[in-house]
Amino acid sequence: MGLDYKLVLWNKHKKTYDKIIVLGMLAYLVLFFVLSFLINPELTAETVIIRAFGSLAILMLHIILAIGPLSRLNPQFLPILYNRRHLGVSMFLAAFIHGGISIFQFHALGSTNPIYAIFTSNMEYGSLTNFPFQVLGFLALLILFLMASTSHDFFLKNLSPRIWKGLHMLVYLAYALVVMHVFLGAFQQETSPFTMTFLILGFVTISGLHLVAAFKESKVDGLKSSVDDSGWLEVCNVNEIANNRAKIFTVAGERVAIFKYDGKLSAIHNVCKHQGGPLGEGKVVDGCITCPWHGYQYLPHNGQSPPPFTEKVITYELRLSNGIIYINPNGFSEGTEVKPLNY
Amino acid sequence: MEKQDEFYIGYVDEVGAQTKKSLKKFTFGAIGVLLLASFLFAFFQKPARASAFDFDTPTKISGTYFEVPYPMLRVKLGENAYKNILLLGFGKFGANNYVKDIREDVGDLNGKHLTIEGNLVYYNGKTLLQIDDSQKISLDEEIIVPPLKPSSLGHLEITGEIVDPKCYFGVMKPGFGKIHRSCAALCIAGGIPPVLVSSEKNEVSDYFLLADMKGNPLHKDILPYIGQPLQVGGKVEKIGDWHLLRIDVDSIIKMDKKSSIY
Repeated sequence: MGLDYKLVLWNKHKKTYDKIIVLGMLAYLVLFFVLSFLINPELTAETVIIRAFGSLAILMLHIILAIGPLSRLNPQFLPILYNRRHLGVSMFLAAFIHGGISIFQFHALGSTNPIYAIFTSNMEYGSLTNFPFQVLGFLALLILFLMASTSHDFFLKNLSPRIWKGLHMLVYLAYALVVMHVFLGAFQQETSPFTMTFLILGFVTISGLHLVAAFKESKVDGLKSSVDDSGWLEVCNVNEIANNRAKIFTVAGERVAIFKYDGKLSAIHNVCKHQGGPLGEGKVVDGCITCPWHGYQYLPHNGQSPPPFTEKVITYELRLSNGIIYINPNGFSEGTEVKPLNY
Repeated sequence: MEKQDEFYIGYVDEVGAQTKKSLKKFTFGAIGVLLLASFLFAFFQKPARASAFDFDTPTKISGTYFEVPYPMLRVKLGENAYKNILLLGFGKFGANNYVKDIREDVGDLNGKHLTIEGNLVYYNGKTLLQIDDSQKISLDEEIIVPPLKPSSLGHLEITGEIVDPKCYFGVMKPGFGKIHRSCAALCIAGGIPPVLVSSEKNEVSDYFLLADMKGNPLHKDILPYIGQPLQVGGKVEKIGDWHLLRIDVDSIIKMDKKSSIY
């Protein structure tokens, strides 16, 4: 958590994370360069650079897309999510080197503006095999640029988390464009069953992980609760919630986290104000509900971040009867104090 | 329960043992996948040919200039032995812009003896010269050279692909096919002659400069046909060690198959 904006709020884990990113990228590039020039010494350096950085970027994109569902399926992967934006920016840099050198080599130094030439030097938009695949790569690069350049809490706050999240969900469109860019471009000429199978497996893995994670979450949304005479929802037995942890329920179309801590129960809206992290998958640490994604904290009894922080979430009223927890589906306004329920 | 109580907070240094184990697994797995992919992507690249572009080594070439219809320099190698060096401009431009200045001074350049300093591009018996500065062209004292007479070889049907010779003969690898198509289109639009590379053996040549039926240069009209398998028919002329194919662009047939030239 931070009050003012710095380029990077460094900590031990972020430094380790970035070292691993650099090591991984260097290992990929060195192996690619050495093998390319050993096996294929007549290749030009530009071709090898374009291929090395392009293939590296698409692989990193796969890893980035796998992190979200993996950490939803197993919270032990959450540390990889914590600094994902550095991985994203590194992937953009690899894609930018690929795209920049390709644009210079294939579209610059002519009589036409290189960016205009991307769209006009091959006009077979009606054909699949002859489609100008460069356009797809260029649009993907634009999306990745928008994402990389806004990968900072300053933009998250100023664009609003909803718009920021929407913008960053465009990564799926970028992924689709990149896959088509490769299949309608490189794979039309440099076809190998191994590389093609590799990317197909990548697509299947990413899609599979997202489907499994979505199925897991749909169980929470699909949970049916009975309503008593006063309109309160019966949610669960108090013993079903682990100490200092929460269970998530969908109440009046919203996900709500009911926390159990210090012999008390409190309920708050499940969505963290920072990046929309699932607070109900967090833990009560030092008396504060702590978001599993980036460690943003809220006090259980009023949904407010401890001073000097200012984030607030909706709070809910709870009732206990014979060990069964009931919740009033009508939440209070954000940051409203609600007396915790003793059990 | 013990396992669930592990909770990672980015700004707290301690990490649970189980979480550490999972992170190690993920990191080694991801780097393993990266290295495997690096091996596969690097290993399964198609072999590049020994074409060359001396981009950092200028060469001075002297010979007789002529345009039939594209600028060439006819260089004497020995008694009755000549080589026609196709002239190109810098980047994606033809040579015409670079010979403009000297043409204004001298008039018709055809048959004039010139010395040009440029960068050689060469592959499979063909040589081209990139001119990057019009000041590097100079007129030599009159040297009498027998006139170059194109000889007709009749009609020929060729299967192949149209490339820009600058990239194909050495500047880029690969300088053909779909990936290179846009570049080739920009090169040819910029004045570089279109060359048809034959994908099947024929009795005449692997390479044909393309011109229209009247023997005039072809640029804009040929653009939709570049970088894809084609069948092209036309009248072949031998011009020194190059061949010119006079074609009707409308009669070109696009073929539904993979490109198979190098």
